[in-house]
Amino acid sequence: MSSLYERLGGEKAVNAAVELFYRRVLADGRIARFFEDVDMEDQIAKQKSFLTMAFGGPNKYTGKDMRNAHRRLVEKGLNDSHVDAVIDNLNTTLRQLGVPETEVKEVAALANSVRDDVLGR
Amino acid sequence: MSLLTYMDRPVPIAPGETVLEALLRAGIEAKSSCRAGTCQTCMHRAVSGTPPEASQRGLTEAQKAMGFFLPCVCKPETPLAIAPRDDAGARREAVVRSLERLSHDIIRLRIEADDFDYRPGQFLELIADDDLKRHYSLASHPEDDPYLEMHIRLHENGRMSRRLTERLAPGHRLHVAGPSGTCFYEGVDPDQPLVLIGAGTGLAPLYGVLRDALKRGHRGPIRLYHGARDPRGLYLRDELEALAGSRENLTYRPCALDADAHLRGDVAAVALESETGLEHSAFFLCGGENLVKRLKRDLFMRGASLRAIRADAFTPGA
Repeated sequence: MSSLYERLGGEKAVNAAVELFYRRVLADGRIARFFEDVDMEDQIAKQKSFLTMAFGGPNKYTGKDMRNAHRRLVEKGLNDSHVDAVIDNLNTTLRQLGVPETEVKEVAALANSVRDDVLGR
Repeated sequence: MSLLTYMDRPVPIAPGETVLEALLRAGIEAKSSCRAGTCQTCMHRAVSGTPPEASQRGLTEAQKAMGFFLPCVCKPETPLAIAPRDDAGARREAVVRSLERLSHDIIRLRIEADDFDYRPGQFLELIADDDLKRHYSLASHPEDDPYLEMHIRLHENGRMSRRLTERLAPGHRLHVAGPSGTCFYEGVDPDQPLVLIGAGTGLAPLYGVLRDALKRGHRGPIRLYHGARDPRGLYLRDELEALAGSRENLTYRPCALDADAHLRGDVAAVALESETGLEHSAFFLCGGENLVKRLKRDLFMRGASLRAIRADAFTPGA
């Protein structure tokens, strides 16, 4: 059985999803404020890297990396509802791209697995 | 020569080791995050040598052309000398060739510097004194012009402005470092629409990019939008109108906030209103930070690909 990342189409799938996903996130009133004042090029690289992780692709993130990366946002009030919103947008993006429901759920589960680290708990 | 050199310092690197690992082991502070070649946090630039292809995956064509690469997935096999991504490099001497007024508050500065390799639209650091440095974009073309050309807005009481208007004259010496920036004609399909939007002296890099695009035979439509507060700020207008008149694929759209109906308009609003089919176009945006940020976001939200948007935002000098 091939890995989730391979089944989704690897880097090509990430590239296809990243701009659609980032547009959704920026347009989502629940979370848009966390993305103000960030450099869009830096941010899209981070979104791409988030998708790679959520697709089960190569990454060497540690819990500490996730905590450090989101510390400032947690100080600004980042909580569970915002993580839910991000995962919502991720699900919608994948469905829009025709990804089967089984894989959508697997991706959501991977994204969800870093929730506590992201929220610094 | 050592396999890896960081800012002129040899850094030992073991076989199979990545540049990031070698830097960290040598005690060099290098930020990183995913360590798998996607997040781009660790990006550095090769100042000599060619980074392995795998370490440039996911970067834009302009970034690749500038030698940017990702140390976390870079295992060099041939010598590589590297620097942090925003390092401007060594300074070199330059001589002032001319200073001319382009409008009531914009001057054109032309300087000569030997062996200054650049792409039109990139910027350099102009160093008048150790504590008086500014970034300016290049409007000249290295194949056509024996000088580096900058368009500089004069600010009342600005230190560089005073230096340029009161003390500098042809023949005087100063220093430059660079070039930097990825705002140049690279990775653009010659048949795709090329959209150049700028305000004030943001025209300088766009003018450089425009000339480079024409020289390289860009065949798709080229639309240049230039904005200013009042019509006097629409410098080079006659020249650009003449150029647009002689090139079938070039449109020039000057806009001024305080103007008669013919020119009136906010350049960002005019461009957003006129441009359609954004997902097929390449964009260059140059001007003040607010304008560039707003345009980049609006274009992206309306369907433009971020990879196809090159931007250069000016920040006010101290």
